[in-house]
Amino acid sequence: MANYLAQFQTIKSSCDRIVIAVEDVSDLWLNVKESFEQRVPVKKAGLNNKARNPVFVENLPAEFIQTTDSRLRSRFPQEQYLFWFREPYATVVLVTCEDLDEFKTILKPRLKLIVQNDEREWFIVFVSKAHPSNDQATKMAKRVYARLEADFNTKKRERCCKFDLHGSDAEFWDDFDSKMVDCIRNTLDRRVQFYEEEIRRLSEQRFTPIWNFCNFFILKESLAFMFEMSNLHEDSLREYDELELCYSESVNSPGKHREFGGLDKGDDQAALLNPGLKSLTQIVQDDVFREFEFRQYIFACQAKLLFKLSRPIEVAARGHSFVVGFSKTLALHENSLPFCFREVWVITACLGLIKSTTSHYGGVVAIDSEKEFYRLQGDLYSLCRVKFMRLAYLIGYGVEIEKSPVNSASLSMLPWPKPATWPSIPPDSSAEVMEKEKMVLQAKSREKLFNIHRKPLPLEPSLLLREANRRRAFLSVGNLSELYDSADGSGLDANSKLPPSRSSSNFMTRTMSGPATSETSLPVDRPMRLSEIHVAAEHALKQTISDPDFMTSLSSVKEFEKRYMELTKGAADNYHRSWWKRHGVVLDGEIAALFFKHGNYDLAVKSYEKVCALYSAEGWEELLADVLPDLAECQKILNDEAGYLASCVKLLSLDSGLFSSKERQAFQSEVVRLAHSEMKHPVPLDVSSLITFAGNAGPPLELCDGDPGTLSVAVWSGFPDDITLESLSLRLSASSSADEGIKAIKSSDSHVLAPGRNTISFDIPPQQPGSYVLGALTGQIGKLSFRSHGFSQDGPVGTDEFMSFEKPTRPVLKVRKPRALVDITPAVSSALLMNELQWIGLIVKPIDYSLKGGILHIDAGAELKIEESQMIEIENYRSDMEHVGAARSSTEAGRVEKILIENGKIKLPDWASDVTTLVWFPVRAIDGTIARGESPASPQKQSIVDGMRMIALKLEFGVFHNQVFERTIAVHFTNPFHVSTRVVDKCNDGTLLLQVILSSEVKATLHVKDVRLDLQSGFEHLGKGDGRPASNLFPLVIAPSSRAGILFIIRLSGTKDVDEEENTDSMLNIKYGISGDRTTGAHSPVPVNPGESEELSFKIALRLKRPVLDPCLAVGFLPFSTDCLRVGQLVNMKWRVERLKTPEDASISGNEILYQVDANPQNWMVAGRKCGHVSLSNEQGSRMEIMVTCVPLVSGYVHPPQLGLPEVGEANISCNPAGPHLVCVLPPALSTSYCIPAA
Amino acid sequence: MIVCVAVVGHQNNPLYLQSFTEADDALKLHHIVHCSLDVIDERVNNPKRSAPTLNETFLGLLYPTENYKVYGYLTNTKVKFIMVTTDLDVKDADARNFFRKFHAAYVDAVSNPFHVPGKKIASRSFGARVSTIVKSFGSGTTG
Repeated sequence: MANYLAQFQTIKSSCDRIVIAVEDVSDLWLNVKESFEQRVPVKKAGLNNKARNPVFVENLPAEFIQTTDSRLRSRFPQEQYLFWFREPYATVVLVTCEDLDEFKTILKPRLKLIVQNDEREWFIVFVSKAHPSNDQATKMAKRVYARLEADFNTKKRERCCKFDLHGSDAEFWDDFDSKMVDCIRNTLDRRVQFYEEEIRRLSEQRFTPIWNFCNFFILKESLAFMFEMSNLHEDSLREYDELELCYSESVNSPGKHREFGGLDKGDDQAALLNPGLKSLTQIVQDDVFREFEFRQYIFACQAKLLFKLSRPIEVAARGHSFVVGFSKTLALHENSLPFCFREVWVITACLGLIKSTTSHYGGVVAIDSEKEFYRLQGDLYSLCRVKFMRLAYLIGYGVEIEKSPVNSASLSMLPWPKPATWPSIPPDSSAEVMEKEKMVLQAKSREKLFNIHRKPLPLEPSLLLREANRRRAFLSVGNLSELYDSADGSGLDANSKLPPSRSSSNFMTRTMSGPATSETSLPVDRPMRLSEIHVAAEHALKQTISDPDFMTSLSSVKEFEKRYMELTKGAADNYHRSWWKRHGVVLDGEIAALFFKHGNYDLAVKSYEKVCALYSAEGWEELLADVLPDLAECQKILNDEAGYLASCVKLLSLDSGLFSSKERQAFQSEVVRLAHSEMKHPVPLDVSSLITFAGNAGPPLELCDGDPGTLSVAVWSGFPDDITLESLSLRLSASSSADEGIKAIKSSDSHVLAPGRNTISFDIPPQQPGSYVLGALTGQIGKLSFRSHGFSQDGPVGTDEFMSFEKPTRPVLKVRKPRALVDITPAVSSALLMNELQWIGLIVKPIDYSLKGGILHIDAGAELKIEESQMIEIENYRSDMEHVGAARSSTEAGRVEKILIENGKIKLPDWASDVTTLVWFPVRAIDGTIARGESPASPQKQSIVDGMRMIALKLEFGVFHNQVFERTIAVHFTNPFHVSTRVVDKCNDGTLLLQVILSSEVKATLHVKDVRLDLQSGFEHLGKGDGRPASNLFPLVIAPSSRAGILFIIRLSGTKDVDEEENTDSMLNIKYGISGDRTTGAHSPVPVNPGESEELSFKIALRLKRPVLDPCLAVGFLPFSTDCLRVGQLVNMKWRVERLKTPEDASISGNEILYQVDANPQNWMVAGRKCGHVSLSNEQGSRMEIMVTCVPLVSGYVHPPQLGLPEVGEANISCNPAGPHLVCVLPPALSTSYCIPAA
Repeated sequence: MIVCVAVVGHQNNPLYLQSFTEADDALKLHHIVHCSLDVIDERVNNPKRSAPTLNETFLGLLYPTENYKVYGYLTNTKVKFIMVTTDLDVKDADARNFFRKFHAAYVDAVSNPFHVPGKKIASRSFGARVSTIVKSFGSGTTG
């Protein structure tokens, strides 16, 4: 059956659409051909897929071919079955007839003959030639068509349709299309079924010896091809997938040796996307296809279908895994393939995939798919790039390849090619060898900035020199030592001397290398040098690579770098558009390295910055340490001082294990050098990662509102050496608000930061209340200002901690809300003595705050004087409560210190700064007025305010006297005695017993030692006349708030001088002593001069008045004559006026007295005279009556009318008996005059 | 042979990275581990495409490269474990088992009260334990 393969290929290539046969019975085809062919491709066809599910296919390509056409004739039946997919899918029978008889006799039998073949799907198109205007013909045509329908339509299926040549309508075409599609569908179903059965039959034989993959392939591909023709691409793809699977199974089955393929010219260029590159007959061998070509063929078919299905992403995905997988397959066959065939194939395959998928990619897909697509593109590019680098390395461009982690990762783990025998140097190549040698020698590893020396990362899985020579197969192991001696030693080191373990399990067979040795021009015993290996590889590659363009890109370093750049950029750009940002950025680093090499520092910096940002953001310090010096170097070259400084700082802040101390010192000296140089654009430098700081452990510093303080902060320096700072300041920020609203606080310490921890103290001026956290540390190195936000919790900054510049939450400083820090209260509760020097006690009570160095200002107000000549006494104060506990233990309980007061200021002693103290200071309240006694004649009210004196206190305390406490206290002063007088008895002889009552005003015992009363004129003492009281009782002791009385006997003296009487007072002089406690109140005055007598004197003025006369008139209200008052009833009000004594004054003498009756006119109607004069004799005892008639107007309790005597003072009237306040008035009596008797 | 194991923190910062190669080329392994974070990110960010493995800590093979394989494991706290092996024929079950042991070792290491969360793991006993696990993986005794 394999011989059908060629035929199958030709048929497949010649037939690309569905064929519809036209059976032209009545020679009509030419008439209808044009309109029929307009119907293809079929716009919409409802077909069934392999799973028998209806599928709508658009634009199904089809072709009408007449049955008489040579293409449909002369086929053998066997062929027909095998290549059934090319047979017509429908047969259109074109007929016409204008006569019923003719139809019956001729046409019908002929049609029956045509349609009797069951295998065909047919339908009849009756063409009516009748013109619409010709009724007769039209009718006839209709009749014939009806007959035709009756004969050929069945119940199940209508097979006829009618086409009018003149004016066909849309209805016909719909009918036509549906009938045609029905036929196609039925045919397709039947054929699918046939192929499936055949395939199943064949599959059953799979494990039998007669199994032939080729036959299976023809059937399977026929089916796939048929689906493809019918636009059922999905089904077609599935067939190819199954075919691929089946092939993999059969090709991997052990058995006879098969040829792999890939040895033809041009095979190095992958044919992944070109199924027609090689005919299948070329690659078949013993009924089996060669793997190399066939796998690519299958993939190409799949790719073609996927592109038709608009799934370029899937092509890329399948392509990538195919390339990777196939590369492995190639590795298995590497010893039979040309040198580096595998690498070349992968490169071309990747490039081909990239090109075709990109051109088919429309970009209108979901974001996920788009990212996936770009990721795959990136993968293809980077796979290509790796293989390309490997080729370049083999031919000696390795020295030009950056020894970066990414290159090392991809190259050092990629095994060397394993040809059966390593290529040998072609003859006459000494010039090339020289050139390569020169190139290798000239290339020296780039000197990195700061003298950083690192062992370059390997780009080779094992030493090339050894690998190549070993693979030449004729070298004995013993020669290797000689080899190392003669080698130029590039890339040679201790590690790579270890025998490569991986390469020991290779497919090399020494027997196969036999022919190769004979070709070599080298003496057999000499191993190749590295340059010779490169030359040999280059020559071998030239043999392998058939694409001249490809070879060009390996022809020189410049070309290599151009292509390398292209691939790297392609990979990076695509990765950037995918999810794989890191891959993209890392490749950017490779691009940067190339730019750097070629002096494109601007571009290099940009890419390097991206790489550094990536590594630094995620804390990959090892990788950062590799690339950061390069960035720094670029910045240095570009004179980007700010960037260069930032890079240096970053280098310093990396984990100290990553650089030697010498290198770190170089970084530091670079920073210091720049800082002290004239920078063009000084930029604040962020050293957050290098200089970090933290508050000290433990509770935060607590300050009271308004207090300054000293905050000590631990600052860690990451510099390897001491570094001198010009200044250092700290910002605090309130934890409640985000902004750093506080101006920087400068440090007063010396500004040399040692490596590691330094403790710096900052003086903090008074701050607003609140809690504060560390904000930022700023300072200057030379002319460079820097700033750090790096907080460290405890200990130096962790290597991965600098990523998170989270604000520390722990406050370092708390400034409390304003509160009372001290309280000053007066110690006395009761009044002090006026005009005497008295102690005033102040209780100074600090409230959890030291009063150290506090100064108390005492400002006595008006009428109060502080005696500055006296010492102030300060003593410990204990309240009653405290006394109980502290009495035993404390030895300082009674501590008293005397200090001086100057200008009203007292400096508090240190011992008193934390304890409650009592400050005693002497004052004298001054009251110029003379106290007055109280007598019935001159009652006086004494206001408490009179004795009040104010003292303004101001206490300045705190470290800088910044805290001020102010208070004004009131102290009450009073005289010792309150004196009142009264005449106890008035004797008949004119003597008066005057009692002077002394009541104590103070809470102290008073000792009255002597009392003397100096009488005013008009009075005189009886008896001795020295003004002493009647009896001598002194000393008289008066307890607090008690009274004592002293009796004087006086009489009125004869002289009567009105003026004197008015203006002079009697004077009471009291000599007394006082014994009281100053903590309670009044006490004996402070002795101004020692030895002064403690006797005090007190003067008080008393006014005595001559006795007042008795009332001279008495008024009495006489009872009513009736029992009760009634409204409207006249009533007589009677008053009796009696003269009690004869008036002495002429002014009030006279016989007539004016009277007046006051009555509320609403209640009373006064019937008589309301006022008038009545005569009353001046003699004592004379009396008279006044009567007024009134009528009560309202009932109830009402005020009665009152009698007043306007001319006589009220004091002279005695009401006896007193008149009633209210009288009861009854309602008027019922009047019966208008009443009719009830009966 | 496992060439490298790594623990990567939830901010993608390396917490522990140990290479088991003889050559002085740890940097390239840093690179491989770092780049494999891309794959983990992609899987975590696109749960749709890896729906069946959504609740699975073991992420499976991350990198289908020709020369080495990278396996990943993601804990609930978004700590990633990454293993790079040059064995091209690794059973998923073996890898899964390896990571389970590795995870247990990690949990023990970070439970140390002197370990600062988020900082690199410097514990020597952790290193020794990881080495043992790696060796046992190589020898094929995967408990």
